[in-house]
Amino acid sequence: MASAPVGRALRFLDPGVIARLGTMELKARTVVEGFLSGLHRSPYKGFSVEFAEYRQYLPGDDLNTIDWKVYARTDRHYVKKFEEETNLECHLLLDQSASMSYRGAAPMSKLEYGSVLAASLAFLMNRQRDATGFIAFDEQIRFRLPAAARPGHLHALLLALERVQTGQRSNVGRPLHQLAEALVKRSLIVLISDLLDDPEPVIKGLRHLKFRGSDVVVFQVLDPNELTFPFKTAARFTDVETAEEIVADPSRARTDYLRELAGLTGRYDRELRGAGIDYVQLDTSQPLDFALLAYLSARARRK
Amino acid sequence: MSFLYPAFLFGALAVAVPIVLHLLRRDVAPEVPFTAVRLLKISPVERSRRTRLRDLLLLAARVAAVLLLAAAFARPFAPGAAAAMAPLRIVAVDRSFSMAAPGRFERVLERARAAVDEAAFAERVAVIAFDDRAAVIAEPGAAADARSSLSTLRAGSGGTRYSAVLSRAAEMANGGEARLIVITDLQRAGWEGDSRARIPATMQVETRDTGAPPANLGVVDARLDDRRVTAAIRNASAAPASGTVTLMHQGREVARAGYAAAPATTVEVSLPWQPSSGGVVLSIADDKGYPADNARYLVIHATEIPAVMIVSSPDSPGFYLQRALAADESRDPGGFRTRLVSTAEIAGGRAEMIAKHRALVLLSTRNLDRAAREAIAGFVRTGGGLLIAAAPDVEPSVVASLFGWSTAGFVPAEARQASLTATDSRHPILRPFGAFAANLGNVRFERAWKVDGTGWHVAARFDDGSPALLERGEGQGRVVLFASDLDRRWNDFPVHPTFVPFVTEAVRHVAARAVSPDQFVVGRVPAGIPGEPGVHQLEGGRAIAVNVDPRESSTSLMTSQEFSDMLEPVAVTMARSAREEQTESRQSLWQYGLLMMLGVLIVESFVGRA
Repeated sequence: MASAPVGRALRFLDPGVIARLGTMELKARTVVEGFLSGLHRSPYKGFSVEFAEYRQYLPGDDLNTIDWKVYARTDRHYVKKFEEETNLECHLLLDQSASMSYRGAAPMSKLEYGSVLAASLAFLMNRQRDATGFIAFDEQIRFRLPAAARPGHLHALLLALERVQTGQRSNVGRPLHQLAEALVKRSLIVLISDLLDDPEPVIKGLRHLKFRGSDVVVFQVLDPNELTFPFKTAARFTDVETAEEIVADPSRARTDYLRELAGLTGRYDRELRGAGIDYVQLDTSQPLDFALLAYLSARARRK
Repeated sequence: MSFLYPAFLFGALAVAVPIVLHLLRRDVAPEVPFTAVRLLKISPVERSRRTRLRDLLLLAARVAAVLLLAAAFARPFAPGAAAAMAPLRIVAVDRSFSMAAPGRFERVLERARAAVDEAAFAERVAVIAFDDRAAVIAEPGAAADARSSLSTLRAGSGGTRYSAVLSRAAEMANGGEARLIVITDLQRAGWEGDSRARIPATMQVETRDTGAPPANLGVVDARLDDRRVTAAIRNASAAPASGTVTLMHQGREVARAGYAAAPATTVEVSLPWQPSSGGVVLSIADDKGYPADNARYLVIHATEIPAVMIVSSPDSPGFYLQRALAADESRDPGGFRTRLVSTAEIAGGRAEMIAKHRALVLLSTRNLDRAAREAIAGFVRTGGGLLIAAAPDVEPSVVASLFGWSTAGFVPAEARQASLTATDSRHPILRPFGAFAANLGNVRFERAWKVDGTGWHVAARFDDGSPALLERGEGQGRVVLFASDLDRRWNDFPVHPTFVPFVTEAVRHVAARAVSPDQFVVGRVPAGIPGEPGVHQLEGGRAIAVNVDPRESSTSLMTSQEFSDMLEPVAVTMARSAREEQTESRQSLWQYGLLMMLGVLIVESFVGRA
């Protein structure tokens, strides 16, 4: 019964639709509202010491939330609603290196896709009263917005996301170490990057964060062209970061390339999962709901 | 293989362009921005075997196209091909109207077929039919084609001209070995004059006689005299002949008269005729001779009396001029119809009224408005005549403005004592005076314009040297200017005996127009008129008479030896370049080269798109 509304809602998660929207806030709101309307159960009403309201019991509500005193008085089941306690600090790390500006066949570049993803997560966190921070980096940290949950912080964060420019070469490991050293509180770290870097320092940096007690979610954002290498004619492939040129015939080089890419992503998947880090690979041509579900899953584990 | 313009072969160097492009662009690949370049193994662009084959095909096609284009411009030819050509037999058939006597053309065709059948196996045979022109009926080729082409031949209306067939045969032989067999009645009239005809030494000429001529009677001339039509009848036989000449007008017999002609004589017969415009035909009956000369056509135009407009004013009434022209008015033909108008009557142009006249005499320009001046100028430029007499009422500035002449060329009347002297006695106005032109010197001139003769033809001058009678062309018409008065105010000319012939001839001269001929001979008719005897209409509606050439009616023949004596074989020393040009022109290999280039380009486009 709920499939039709869900289908309509998911339409708003389509990158092609989101790319045409105006501000980052509108994009994030569209993504989050569309995502949430597609869920069967409210995911973000949690436990808190601060009473919010009574609401009639509905099938699916946790039985622990039923106020039995009210039941005794009224002979009806009511559940107690509480404002969720804000005890989570979340840091969104967005890779703004030159490779993130690549846009092949997808409607958005990886940086745009990552920005919308970060904005959506921030929007979601804000609704849950989580303190949200933002870091943009390439080979070093270029912008940092400390985590906060105060009113107006979301607007500042979205504004910062909107102003993110393409940076220089990427060095993901370095800012991760910097952040790990700077963290004083266990947090949720969300890394959004294409991870087309030397995997060794990246994994070390992420382990460093995990070691400091933070939960880490890694979104590897890749363009469909990077995932499938669909080129047909021989070409000079020029690296957008290093300007390195390689002349290749795709018909011959595709197999080797895809094998190398699978090796790289397989290593990330294997080693990060082994370290208890969530690793999610995203295709910029695909909707964002997968990424949001991955986040909520990580957050639920944290509880 | 040789080339007519080998310099164009340098254009073949352009093949370097596709070759260089092929070599330079072989490894060029477009730049594609990418991110995971480090994941790409270096794999040099190795083209597949099929791609390499396609590139080679494209290169070959482009090189071939350039080479073929250069070769086509260089005009290739095979020099040995001309020498290896088979001998040529040309059968020339006389189809002049002298061949149309009963049973005669059948004999001609028999001889022609025999001449074709005599051709050797490897010999090429061509057929030319000729009268005053030569037409190729069968191009050099198989004898069977030549034989079948003979069945289409008929005797025509033209006269015999051997020069036409000899030159056409020489052109066809093109310097090669050829044998020309002329089947003709050997009419002496077929040779124009006594000059011999030059033929290539490589061409043998042989005549085949068609037998003795028939006894022929023909109308060889027709003319219109004063109310009579005269026909000239030639008896070309050896026996006296007599008969009747009939005059037909619009299909109706209007007169007839008998004639009797002694052997080999021409007699003239006159028939009464009330002049009327249109075509007439004079005919006789002669069933033994040539049918085409039994009738002769004549076109008669209605007599047109030229109309002359005299522009005058009360001060310049043109009295003497009008009286002089009236004296000539009764002459038929040759008279005038004069009309006296004032300048006020042609004010506003009145171009239509002016155009009805053949000539305009300007005795006054007072009150001649601009529209009238433009109408006069237009009248002259379209073929009208204008006689201007300097008079007190004629303003030099107005005269100059008519045709944009410089006003400095006309100095108004000066008082002087002068007399007239004819300086060009052959001028049409003065020629009739002959030795009496000196009498013009008796006229005393007291006043006259001083005209600058630049751009004019001066026919007479005053004794002080200034021009007195001038003429110039304007458009299709002519202007005659007399530098003094014709109304006895500046001279006493009107009272002299020379006045009447002078003004009559002056007006006749400006009123004269070019007379187009209305008599033509078959073979020399205007374009668009069929070359058959009869009365035909030109595009403008004017009728013309077309008759057969009377020389063809003659039965004077020559022998084969006399015919041969009229030929002068000359060695053909054709320049090498001319010979090569002819060979190349005949082979036209360049056309095949361009066709091949087109085919190659089509293949290239298909391969390129694959």
